[in-house]
Amino acid sequence: MDGKIGWGRPNGRATLEKLVSFIEGHPAQPVFRISMEGVEQIDASFASEAIVELIRRYRGQKGICLVDLLDLEVQFNISVAAARVDVPIAVWRDGVVEIIGGQPSQGNREALEYALTRSQARAAELAETKDYSIANASTKFKQLWEQGFLMRNESAADSGGVEFVYRRIG
Amino acid sequence: MATLAQPAECVLTLPAAWVDAAKFERALWLCGDALGGPCTGVVVQVPAGCKPMVEVIVRLLSFCNQACLMTKRVRLQFADDDQAAMGYLDRMGFFDHLSPSVEVSPSRPAVSGARLHRGGNSGLVEIARFSGTEPAEDSLVVRLAETARNSCSGRPDVAALHNAVFTILCELIGNVVEHSGSPLDAFAVLQTYPRGNKVRIAVSDSGFGVLETLRPALRKKGDPMAVLGDVDLLVEMFRKGVSRYDDDNRGTGLMACAAHAIRFKADLDVRLLRGRVLLKPAETEYQPNMAYLQVGLPLMWGTHIAFTLNLA
Repeated sequence: MDGKIGWGRPNGRATLEKLVSFIEGHPAQPVFRISMEGVEQIDASFASEAIVELIRRYRGQKGICLVDLLDLEVQFNISVAAARVDVPIAVWRDGVVEIIGGQPSQGNREALEYALTRSQARAAELAETKDYSIANASTKFKQLWEQGFLMRNESAADSGGVEFVYRRIG
Repeated sequence: MATLAQPAECVLTLPAAWVDAAKFERALWLCGDALGGPCTGVVVQVPAGCKPMVEVIVRLLSFCNQACLMTKRVRLQFADDDQAAMGYLDRMGFFDHLSPSVEVSPSRPAVSGARLHRGGNSGLVEIARFSGTEPAEDSLVVRLAETARNSCSGRPDVAALHNAVFTILCELIGNVVEHSGSPLDAFAVLQTYPRGNKVRIAVSDSGFGVLETLRPALRKKGDPMAVLGDVDLLVEMFRKGVSRYDDDNRGTGLMACAAHAIRFKADLDVRLLRGRVLLKPAETEYQPNMAYLQVGLPLMWGTHIAFTLNLA
């Protein structure tokens, strides 16, 4: 994308290549924050190729989120493109994260809201707070991670062994 | 053995009134199958008092250029005693894009009104031409969307309107370039009514036709949507996005258009090769039970889509 406006699939693909090239050039970096500062207008096809496809491609491997997205009309087009293929996108504003595009199932919504309001979350904590079984809480977080709502890392559990720590993207 | 005389000439007479897509189709139907039939010439009569709407103007332009490409003699006749219609078409740049083979009477404007007055009217945009196969320039959609923003600058929803116009034009123009496969130029036009409550956007191409390229591809990949009727398939294209490619990122364009259009309760008018579908908005989306279908219409190549955004 050159300048402040991006539209059309060919331009979107060209931008995707640049973004992929940048990410591949930083293999050890787990999280990428894409600044939308200065972007005045993009259509849904551009958003689909450049942003949604990028996030989908690295789902489960890298955390990619959007920042400086102040124009709600630009956000509308990104959200439409992402919703169509059920890709959630984390958007950060003033220290608060919002998920646009793909949305969680009704059953996982509460678990996602829990995870989004803290820097990290474990299934055991969710289970205790929301009165779920550990297995149920663990399944919800796992699904949210697989679907691209959360990132996760392995961590040593208090009881020994390994447990997963889930984090917001960004 | 008796033989029927084939008409050498088809006559398309536009009404002496405002002409919307429905009235244009009625006139075309009365004219006969000018493009699909054996006639060798087409006469288009524009009487005094005829005021074609922008979506009709670009369809008429495509129709005339298609007839010329099919080596038919095309004559465009304006009333001698009323130059208003010709002046209006001239101001929009109609004659700049009309095939030189079309005979115009009394005569073509000596100097293009669109070139003389370009940009002088915030409510009217000249017809924008773009190749049916080459990427359009960025400035084309930016200029059209800016016009919508400037002419509606006092409205609280001007940002949404600007984005709607930008997105709809981007997506429709992108689709034409990618799918139409036509050597003929395509056209985009926008008209705002500063004191009114509507914005009209129309894109017209002369390609294979949206369903003619989509349905065989769906059939080939075994997609169940291949068996849907025209209305149902079109509604699915606007509701969920349907693509002829396996890549599920594709098909976003028309769905995004609809997502914007529904915010303005827009009517969607789609002219197919031999049919026309008018989609009326339901609460939050377009639905088959709010669609009106005309079939068995005279041939027009390409896809001709018009959005009428209703401003509250």
